Amino acid sequence: MIELAHVSRQYARGADVVHALEDVSLSIEQGRFVALMGPSGSGKSTLLNLLAGLDRPSAGTVDVAGRRLDALSEDELAHFRAEHLGFVFQFFNLIPVLSAVENVELPLLLTALGRGDRRRRAETALRIVGLADRARHRPNELSGGEQQRVAIARAIVSDPEIVVGDEPTGDLDAKNAEEILGLLRTLKAEFGKTVVIVTHDPRAVRWVDEVVHLDKGVVTGRDPGGAAA
Amino acid sequence: MIRFLPLVVRNLGRNPLRTALTGGAILLAIALVCVLRTMPAAFDAILSRLSNNTRISIHHEAGIVYSMPYAYLNKVRSIPGVVDAVSWTWFGGAVDPDEGVQFPNFAVDADHIGRVYADYALDPEQLAEFERTRTCALVGRRAMRQNDWQLGQLVTLESTVFPLELEFRLCGTVPGEAAQGDVDAASLPVFWFHREYLVEALRAQGVEFDVLGTIWARIDDPERVTAVMQQVDETFRNSEARTVSETEKSFFTSFFSQVQGLLVVIQAVALLVTLCIVFIAANTASMTVRERMREIAVLRAIGFGRNLLFGTLLAEAALLSTLAGALGVFASVGLARWLASMGSANPAMGPLTAFVVTNAVVVQGLFLSLLIGLVTGVVPAFGASRRSVASILRETF
Repeated sequence: MIELAHVSRQYARGADVVHALEDVSLSIEQGRFVALMGPSGSGKSTLLNLLAGLDRPSAGTVDVAGRRLDALSEDELAHFRAEHLGFVFQFFNLIPVLSAVENVELPLLLTALGRGDRRRRAETALRIVGLADRARHRPNELSGGEQQRVAIARAIVSDPEIVVGDEPTGDLDAKNAEEILGLLRTLKAEFGKTVVIVTHDPRAVRWVDEVVHLDKGVVTGRDPGGAAA
Repeated sequence: MIRFLPLVVRNLGRNPLRTALTGGAILLAIALVCVLRTMPAAFDAILSRLSNNTRISIHHEAGIVYSMPYAYLNKVRSIPGVVDAVSWTWFGGAVDPDEGVQFPNFAVDADHIGRVYADYALDPEQLAEFERTRTCALVGRRAMRQNDWQLGQLVTLESTVFPLELEFRLCGTVPGEAAQGDVDAASLPVFWFHREYLVEALRAQGVEFDVLGTIWARIDDPERVTAVMQQVDETFRNSEARTVSETEKSFFTSFFSQVQGLLVVIQAVALLVTLCIVFIAANTASMTVRERMREIAVLRAIGFGRNLLFGTLLAEAALLSTLAGALGVFASVGLARWLASMGSANPAMGPLTAFVVTNAVVVQGLFLSLLIGLVTGVVPAFGASRRSVASILRETF
């Protein structure tokens, strides 16, 4: 499902060249819930960006859902992301001038669906994350946990095979963090999604199938998570 | 693209105060430009009202301040097509020489003025008295109002050209009471008196005065005006003072050339104001995009392509500018109508009725506002849409 082979990624920061990833090879099977963990600067976010088609490797190949992402153009990557991926970020990043249901509807604007169908699907996604009764609320009227649930609804509304999260619990309290991790687990368990998250949160280990450890741009180990079958 | 319109509209409501201030600046700029764009047409309309299409001016080739022999007048009258002709000689009289000449005053041929200025509907009794009485003067209504004069009053003017001080009795107004509103509104504050009065006064000082300043002639048919002008100039081609003939409108256009220069300056100022607004709006657009880089990164991540993002960001700037510009155009139409109503209500402000926001100006205003939106939005929209998602994420998360 996700296959990275000998992937390196370097980028310039001022006069310096940062080696964010060095010869990383990794495969993640369909329907797995995987956490990428490691200290700051270990390359985990870079790895997530590469497998999500947000960035391209300096060397190596990235295969996701049968497509070579490293060979796609910017526009092809955008199209690929819209079709196959859902995103959850640390700071929720909902559009403040749109209601919860309108935020969830955003990815569907890129599809051929009509207005009614878009709205029905968005309401269904909100129901899955338990926020059907908050659909008309603006982000500033929702708690942090609720905003992250809306972000998850937005990530799954177009029914992608893969959901990626960059520190999805990083801005939440313990209770909300547990709820969000449980929700991501549900996406894998009940809807068969492949879920890959970057996290510092040790609580995540209990919910995932596998933990991939990174340090200084290389994979240093892989451990089964607490939910591994 | 239509399905993204609600998103574009909602984004405009993100910071209502900023949107209102930016829109307000564009509104005022467009309103100003539209009103100023009416000025050349308004000036032309005022000149047309001032002018008669069968009256021509004949003056010295070197300029209107140079004199021509008085004998030219009869030669002009004898040219086929000329109904009548009258001479004007600048007297430069002032009520108070310290204040200078407050209104143009000319010595004219009293027994010809009525025929040359038939469209001024001079009162027959006043005209007859003017022709009969050497000290009589016909005065523009505006000059009467400005000086608070009454008919029958005695007025003394001291010339700034000749060593003379002449006393006049005000016998009539120019134009006459029967003249149409437009003629009255546009009439110059003239002061006409007998040429013979001036000639005799100078003769008394031992000066024989046999020159004139300008000849005004009335032609029998508008179609013949050009041919008559050519013939007049041809008549004096080999004379000591060559002439230049022009229509009354052309004469006034040249006479008010300084006003036209002012119009150019005003239009240039309007252009600079518009440019300032473009810079302000561009700065606001850049700021708006910078503040939303996280959201832009998220939109890119969930699949918004570069062109689509560019389009929605540009549409935001263009929509705001066009809406504000449309209101500006609307405001300029309202302002022009208000000025026109003021001009209609008060003859002294008659020229204000000439300010009309035409359909062409409306289209120019709308096009300009759209252009402002596109120019101000294109750079930030392009920059935001072309940046790599990963680099935005690295910087903003």
